[in-house]
Amino acid sequence: MVDASKPAGCVPSPVARAKWTRLRFSIAVLATQVLVLAALLVMWERATPKGSPAAFMFGSPSAIAGFLVQMARDGSLWRDAGVTGMETLLGFFMGNLVGTLLGLSLWYSRFVSRVVQPFVIALGSIPIIALAPIVIIWFGTGLVSKVAMSTLSVVIVALVTSYKGAIGVDGDQINLMKTLGASKFQIFRKLVVPASLTDIFAGLKLTVGFALIGAIVGEFMSSSEGLGHAIFKAGSLYIIPKVFAALVVTIVLALVLTWIVGKIERLLIPWRRQA
Amino acid sequence: MIAEAATYAKPGEGGAVDGAALPLVVEHVAKGYDFNGQVVPVIADLSLTLRKGEIVSIVGPSGCGKTTLLNTLCGLLAPDAGRIRWHGRQVVGQPQNVGYMLQKDLLFPWRTALANTMLGLEIRGVPAAEAEDRSRAMLDQLGLHGFADHYPATLSGGMRQRVALARTLVNDPDVLLLDEPFAALDFQTKLLIENDMVSLVRKGGRSMLLITHDIEEAVSIADRVIVLTRRPTAVKAAYEIELGSDRADVISLRENPDFSRYVRRIWANLDVAIQ
Ligand SMILES: Nc1ncnc2c1ncn2[C@@H]1O[C@H](COP(=O)(O)OP(=O)(O)O)[C@@H](O)[C@H]1O
Ligand SMILES: [Mg+2]
Repeated sequence: MVDASKPAGCVPSPVARAKWTRLRFSIAVLATQVLVLAALLVMWERATPKGSPAAFMFGSPSAIAGFLVQMARDGSLWRDAGVTGMETLLGFFMGNLVGTLLGLSLWYSRFVSRVVQPFVIALGSIPIIALAPIVIIWFGTGLVSKVAMSTLSVVIVALVTSYKGAIGVDGDQINLMKTLGASKFQIFRKLVVPASLTDIFAGLKLTVGFALIGAIVGEFMSSSEGLGHAIFKAGSLYIIPKVFAALVVTIVLALVLTWIVGKIERLLIPWRRQA
Repeated sequence: MIAEAATYAKPGEGGAVDGAALPLVVEHVAKGYDFNGQVVPVIADLSLTLRKGEIVSIVGPSGCGKTTLLNTLCGLLAPDAGRIRWHGRQVVGQPQNVGYMLQKDLLFPWRTALANTMLGLEIRGVPAAEAEDRSRAMLDQLGLHGFADHYPATLSGGMRQRVALARTLVNDPDVLLLDEPFAALDFQTKLLIENDMVSLVRKGGRSMLLITHDIEEAVSIADRVIVLTRRPTAVKAAYEIELGSDRADVISLRENPDFSRYVRRIWANLDVAIQ
């Protein structure tokens, strides 16, 4: 309500006040998170003085920071992150594309989905690392085998989440479509696919991590570049701060990719943003 | 005077000739559900007729099979016995030109009010421009001018049910089948939306079958009220409601002394005793 008798801007409106309360809350959360992290880093640094056996075994924040700067300077950070990022993105894309298409299309036939069910469960229970040797024999030691590993670790999850979304559609909504004269394909396209989008995106966020794991496991097995390669190499040379430095880069990469998926979700599901 | 008449169809009544003029004839329909291998009868033996331009309300104790009846009529469930004829013909699957509306608005959250309204026209392949014009006009008629581009999440319960009504009426149905469509709304909202609906239905010369547990709603809207028995259900009684010639204004009609007399009589005849 606008009250004409009072000068505007003097008394904060309830909306502005609610906004400020929310903002204050998130600032407090963020500040506490930063403090906790800082305290942990300080304790870590204190416990691992330079040259001590502890510093050798556990690394120290300052040594890790030193390696990060060095890796950034000599370009290996960007190259490794770029390689792993590319493998992850390709695997993420292919795995989700194939998995989602299969999962959604299983909605079409109760018979086919029943037939396929035990096979999906069997494939889903294979630890991805157990497939690595075969994948390398089939696809070589280059980019393709990493993308294949990444795809494999994503595809079953994408299939299951999109199928669950599809069969979870409200039966009354399907009945409504039928009474409006919709064909099975129209029900699929106008109802099942959009209704499953929320579940599909939940799956996408989950599979960012899986895609990254697949790519890094592939790099562990055989590679000449990438973050997995950097971690593996530093580990076998006992340069523990460098292992941590590469891990930090990996975490940042995962966060960036998850953030991008979240942005795309906001673009594609506007009705939730407005709500 | 209150007339009490048995106007539900008798066997053999309404043959092919005059049956064709009747939008809906139900003869000896029975329906049960399979429950752990046993058939639990829900509809015992039910016959009724809906005339052109007539509004019929169906009341009955909770759980007696009203929803089951409606789903059977619009082809979502197959009857175990009996005949259902739409405009004189038995149909396989969903009858045409029949609108269906539930207590749940079933709006698609990813579609705006306008796009939700357009759903049926879109399914039938009506050109987009025409579908949009008709849908906007229908939303305007239901008092939703200016809300066409809103997503359902930003509309109140009453407005959402108005959009659901627009989605039903825009397809120009001959018959409306409604299953407690306003049961979740507060009293004033419900009266206003009922009033708008009845005047649109009467003006368009449409027929309507309204299931409700609200006897006042049934009497104020309908030309005839059919009372069902407990499960397994059948027609217990039917009341011709004669409350003057102007039946479009369902609000002022409630002040008619005959109105409360009808309500009391029907209430007395309903099996609502605690079981
Ligand atoms: N799909 C179903 N399977 C088994 N029983 C059902 C099913 N749907 C409804 N019933 C049972 O049939 C009876 C009638 O249900 P319903 O038609 O929804 O009643 P009403 O709409 O009159 O409240 C209830 O006892 C209910 O438990
Ligand atoms: Mg019901």
